[in-house]
Amino acid sequence: MKNSIVIFLLLFGFIGSAKDTPVFEQATAAYNEGAYEKAIDLYSTILEDGQHSAALYYNLGNSYYKLNDIPNSIYFYEKALLLAPNDAEIRNNLGYAQQMTLDAIGTLPETGLSRFYKDITNALHFDQWAYLAVAVMFLFVLLYILFYYFRYSSRKRWAFIGSLTCLFVSLVTVAFAYIAQNDFNADRPAIIFADEIEIQAEPNATSDAVFVLHAGTKVNVLEELNDWKRIRLTDGKTGWVASEHLRVLKDF
Amino acid sequence: MDFKKFVVVISVFLFAFTVKAQDDAAVTFEMKLSKNKLGLNERLRVDFTMNKDGDNFIPPDFSGFRVLMGPSQSISSSWINGVRSYSKTYSYTLAPTAKGKFRINQATIVIDGEVYKSLAEDIEVNTAVDKPSDEMSADDVADENLHLVAEVSKSDPYLNEAITVVYKLYVSPSISVSNYQPLDNPTYNNFWSQDIKVTALNAQNGTFQGKPYRYVILKRVVLYPQKSGKLEIEPLSLDVTVDVPTSKRDFFGGRVYAQTNKTVSAGNRIIEVKALPLKNQPADFNGAVGDFQFSVTTSKTSLNATESLQAKVEVSGKGNLKLFKLPELELPSSLEVYEPEFTEGVRTTLGGMEGVVSNSYTVVPAFRGKYPLPSIPFSFFNPKTETYTTLNSEEIVINVLQGPNSIANTGVAADNTNKRNVIAANTQFNFIKLDANLSPIGSSYFFRSNPFYLLLFGPLLFIPIAILFRKKRDEIASDVVGNKVKKANRLARRYLSKAKKELGNKESFYVALEKALHNYLKAKLKIETSEFSKDKISELLLQKKVDAETINGFVELLKNCEAARYSPFSNVQMQQDYEKASEVISLIDKQV
Repeated sequence: MKNSIVIFLLLFGFIGSAKDTPVFEQATAAYNEGAYEKAIDLYSTILEDGQHSAALYYNLGNSYYKLNDIPNSIYFYEKALLLAPNDAEIRNNLGYAQQMTLDAIGTLPETGLSRFYKDITNALHFDQWAYLAVAVMFLFVLLYILFYYFRYSSRKRWAFIGSLTCLFVSLVTVAFAYIAQNDFNADRPAIIFADEIEIQAEPNATSDAVFVLHAGTKVNVLEELNDWKRIRLTDGKTGWVASEHLRVLKDF
Repeated sequence: MDFKKFVVVISVFLFAFTVKAQDDAAVTFEMKLSKNKLGLNERLRVDFTMNKDGDNFIPPDFSGFRVLMGPSQSISSSWINGVRSYSKTYSYTLAPTAKGKFRINQATIVIDGEVYKSLAEDIEVNTAVDKPSDEMSADDVADENLHLVAEVSKSDPYLNEAITVVYKLYVSPSISVSNYQPLDNPTYNNFWSQDIKVTALNAQNGTFQGKPYRYVILKRVVLYPQKSGKLEIEPLSLDVTVDVPTSKRDFFGGRVYAQTNKTVSAGNRIIEVKALPLKNQPADFNGAVGDFQFSVTTSKTSLNATESLQAKVEVSGKGNLKLFKLPELELPSSLEVYEPEFTEGVRTTLGGMEGVVSNSYTVVPAFRGKYPLPSIPFSFFNPKTETYTTLNSEEIVINVLQGPNSIANTGVAADNTNKRNVIAANTQFNFIKLDANLSPIGSSYFFRSNPFYLLLFGPLLFIPIAILFRKKRDEIASDVVGNKVKKANRLARRYLSKAKKELGNKESFYVALEKALHNYLKAKLKIETSEFSKDKISELLLQKKVDAETINGFVELLKNCEAARYSPFSNVQMQQDYEKASEVISLIDKQV
């Protein structure tokens, strides 16, 4: 039953792509002619059809960059990076867009240990960790069965040690996947869209302004209350801002 | 000759006309009184003035007055710029004889054969005064004839709206000022003040309380109130040296002047300063009051990296230009910006400050790309229209065309997405991607999904299965007899399966059975079909040391197969033959 749903979804997806690909090409042509607004409209229709890809978001970002729309271009580049985190072209163009922003926000220095820990857990996506865990688990089972079947004690010993190592590695990998997923869920980046917005100390309009942000700045959403979101900057500053002034990146 | 004469005649004519016209227009004959009200012990001076000489002057009868002196005549005649001015005056000094109202009647004179009359005037004579004006001391006269006035242009200005204070010293024509010295210069608390220097004292004619006076502007100050509410302007005090005419006359008939020092001060002035309206006050308002223009300009809009450009924030117009901060330029943080240079070209006039103030920023881009300077607002309050105005500068995009090669390969910050990406100077802005590579929105993750758990823990089940399998195999391997039986059964099954299917169908059953037996032997004894006979089979089997009973059984079966084709065989027999066949096959198999 489940399989059939998956297959259906896949088929549906292919049908969708088949329909949207000509639109994508039209949009590319429009972009090349300099009709950036038309390109944006066409790309947006693909999004409305429920289709997306890193390339689509990247192209939207490029179109907005050409129109000097800073927050939108950064927003779509960052979205593209979520789907393709290591794409050099996207990073390069995001750099161009970030040059246009007004805010320069430093990053908090991380201690050696936490950086080491982050480097390891974030080396792979949590799904990749999960696949790795499954593969190593298979290896463990294989080695264990071999251990059982081998006749000579030396071979038995190696198989046993190997299987136990694999079991341990598999469990550690699952733990990494778990941590990486938690990190991923805790990371809720958003882009400021208001030209200039005062970040408040409390989630209401009457409280004091803590600092000022400008369009295109990337922030991290920590929590929400009514229509207000508590945000944190990379330099550790936190404050409240009305939800209408920012857009969350992970809305897919 | 005739022509010359003609010209002379014409010019004479013209001259005559002009003279005549002037004379006709200007004949006046007036009576002037030194005062209209006087005490019984005071004196009155009456002057009859005409601007053209006349004859037959008949003074009025000065009823109620006694003529103390006069008539005395004085004539003055002068030519200024070719215009002649002439005046002739008959003067009388009168003393009243009684209290009451009196009228000085018309005087007549004949000028150029025409009779002119002066206007009659009423005089009121009151009781005697303590100090007849003629006997007043120099101080008293100075008091009456010297006034210092502070003129304020507006008494209810808005906060930061310019007002001017002009200090004028009014001096009556009868006295003269020889020197003055400021005693106390006012400090304008709660005002921003600028003095407009008076370079030359120019006496001008004006009126003060309805009387002709000469006045001098001593001091002009422009004030910008810095606080709302009632503000006080301190008085200015002067020490003035005046020459006052006395009633005494010198030998030549000229008046003798007495010198005196007088302290005059302009009184306190209260200015009611209105606060700026809070209604509709723009958020970015920073105290600019007046009427301004606002602009942000850059010296160039496209340049190469490490070149510099000037961005100028400029406010020009009229108002408190020196008293507010210019709006700050907002620049992308990736641009290097130096402290702005402030320049002002402001003139302060009586109308207030006027001119230009500007901040000039030096900007140096380090990398190529586009850098927008966003539009910035500037708000001011216009006291004339009493409204706030907000001006927005235009957005400017600076294009940096080429990056320097020296900073090439700064690299892309790859590991941390939070880091600002630095662009290598030699990388271009990339073109869009051409491969759509679309997938449906809405991602499901593998981790912690059901397939994940299945794949992670599923393999563990193989371990007990493998163990069980191994055990079973060992068991089977240890049971030798059972194994052989099993093997024979398997053989029979393999060869007799077709026959088993045909059970109950006599003809085809025995054909299949015979074929099966033949096939078995073929496989077991490796004999060819051509040399297939019962004797041969018995012989071969014997060679293989199969016991006779089994051989007989086998041969019997073959015979049955042949016989069955021609004689009736029951189902029971068929079943028996089938079982026998499997028994025989397994027996042979064991023995061979």
